[in-house]
Amino acid sequence: MGGMVVKQPQPVTIAFDVMGTDHGPAEVVRGAAQLSLDSPHIHALLVGDRTLIDNALAETKHNGERISVQHAADFVGMDEKPGEALARKPNASVAVAARLVAEGEAQALVSAGNTGAGVLACARHFQLIPGVRRAALATVYPTRSVRGAKEDPFSLILDVGATVEATADDLVTFAVMGSQYARIISRNERPKVALLSNGVEPQKGPPRVVEAHARLSEMKDINFIGNVEGIDIPKGTADVIVTDGFTGNVCLKMLEGVHETVVELAQYAYKESLRWRAGLAMLSSGIQRIKDITDWNQYGGAPILGFDRIFIKAHGRSKARAIANAGKVAAKVVANNLGSSIREGLQK
Amino acid sequence: MSLPDRIDPRPPRRIYRWDLDKTYLQTDFDSLKDLLRTAFQKAHEKVAIPGASALIRELSENGDSRLCIVSGSPKQMRAVLEEKLKLDGVRWDEFVLKDNIGNLLRGRFRALRGQVGYKLPAILESRVKAPAEAEEVLFGDDAEADAFIYSLFADLIAGRVDERVLSQVLEAGGVYPDDAERVRAAWKQIPVADPVRRIFIHLDKLTPPAHFTAYGPRVVPIFNYFQAALVLLADGHLSAPQVLKIAVEMVQTAGHNIITLSNSFQDLLRRGLPLQQAAVALSQALEGPNKLLAAMRPMPDILSAFSKRLAALGTPPPPPPVQAVDYVSLIHHALPRNHKGRTKP
Repeated sequence: MGGMVVKQPQPVTIAFDVMGTDHGPAEVVRGAAQLSLDSPHIHALLVGDRTLIDNALAETKHNGERISVQHAADFVGMDEKPGEALARKPNASVAVAARLVAEGEAQALVSAGNTGAGVLACARHFQLIPGVRRAALATVYPTRSVRGAKEDPFSLILDVGATVEATADDLVTFAVMGSQYARIISRNERPKVALLSNGVEPQKGPPRVVEAHARLSEMKDINFIGNVEGIDIPKGTADVIVTDGFTGNVCLKMLEGVHETVVELAQYAYKESLRWRAGLAMLSSGIQRIKDITDWNQYGGAPILGFDRIFIKAHGRSKARAIANAGKVAAKVVANNLGSSIREGLQK
Repeated sequence: MSLPDRIDPRPPRRIYRWDLDKTYLQTDFDSLKDLLRTAFQKAHEKVAIPGASALIRELSENGDSRLCIVSGSPKQMRAVLEEKLKLDGVRWDEFVLKDNIGNLLRGRFRALRGQVGYKLPAILESRVKAPAEAEEVLFGDDAEADAFIYSLFADLIAGRVDERVLSQVLEAGGVYPDDAERVRAAWKQIPVADPVRRIFIHLDKLTPPAHFTAYGPRVVPIFNYFQAALVLLADGHLSAPQVLKIAVEMVQTAGHNIITLSNSFQDLLRRGLPLQQAAVALSQALEGPNKLLAAMRPMPDILSAFSKRLAALGTPPPPPPVQAVDYVSLIHHALPRNHKGRTKP
């Protein structure tokens, strides 16, 4: 009688742009080091200043068999203009990392640096998937609902800035890409996809949204639930919310602003009155639970969708845990062959 | 005392000293359960660390070397350990085990876990019998105090450590007076020479390499035995085909691949080890008609992988500086892991 064969994951190499993050290169190195201990099939290719990387690695518990380094002398800072910076610094770490991915030295790129530079570097080195006219920058947002086998509390919103003016074609493409991504990452076989509009009725919104609604309604492979409004984003009504880059970015910034204001109000209440402080103390375990569930560090990062190679953009404030998780997300996307899934989804 | 397992009339040109647990054997004794399982394992159940037996066999192929094993395992395990070594095709010249029962019966409880008072006299007494010109390479691990003890051994026989420092170290290390006396007696019989070329520390616990910087470039922390083989190729102890044989064993038996091997190579380069010539020698060996190497196809891809890893670094980093080791300040490295004076790596 034969024993059960356990399928070993295929080795995958993830290129990490080590430079230009809010917490400095050491935090990215620590994240990759943690990954080398946790995930034997993931190899990290660290791209950046070799001396800084080596110094950080030497002090960090890691597995040297699963880490290599590519020296890159320059990097793009958070406050630099991406186009100008990449023109001045062709050997910036994010550009070198994207090139290595394009050349097949790694299968995916993770960066917590300048988002614009990351997208531009990918646009220069990667190819768009046939049928995709514009790439989409996605982000995840914590919601009241959970989804998929992983009980994922995050919904995916795209685009949040890569394509400012999206056509109906683009919105349909974004819906297919977001749906395939959510299927893989949240282990959600039929993610609910919605268009962001100013009303749930099919005819609400600008012509491109109305047209996209009509076309998505015809697509049997997409679990399209129609339009949702801004209020539905935190509720988690949809698993994938599709919009153009301009609206998505405004929406994202507003949600972040609301979150920060709530935190500030809680801090104010804590200082202002003993009674309010007592109330907050009584709620502390619940607040902590919400924080744990919606902790973006556990998600790691969100993808730029539409290219033939994988790019996971981690938050600029990512610490080691978030970087390690971004690496895991990237490896999972590679293992599940997201590019092929999107290609197939677009052909249907 | 048991007789040597083989009698070679030629004086050894090289001596390779090995620890066993966590250096040669994959051993878990972090909990009582692990300890009991290890104690009752049969020879065929014991597993060598990938590449270790191949490395020992290749080193002994050169014919003029001795293999001296000093292990902290109890003497009662001799039969099973010897059987395991024989199963692996490893032939040894000296094999010293710890008399834990004796220590227990004599109430020497510090000696049960102490390493300095056991290993240092054992390897010094072994050195007394060696020709003054015989070079040494030592293999240990990061679980206990091997880097400290091996470095102290090297510097004692090279005359770089004086009696005062030795006394401080022995006292702080909790060494019993009779063991301390054995250390001094053996040390005085050894002619001053500087024979220790390398000390390899297998990173079983994945201790960060910087933990060993204070011991200087002679101590090389390694993630696997391919790394040791590369350094020994550069040092002239192995030939390129021998290194490739070790790599083959690691690929065939332990799931190593072109990525892990080339990453291991680059890891050493980044730590300043001059391996460029070793890489050239390996590529020449791979191009040869050797049948063994034919089995490694498509391993020639390793050439390209190694070249890429080398090029990825730009200018090679400078070698780490040679420095005097301050044993008194490092004594906490030599204390048992649960000792209050021991700091976390």
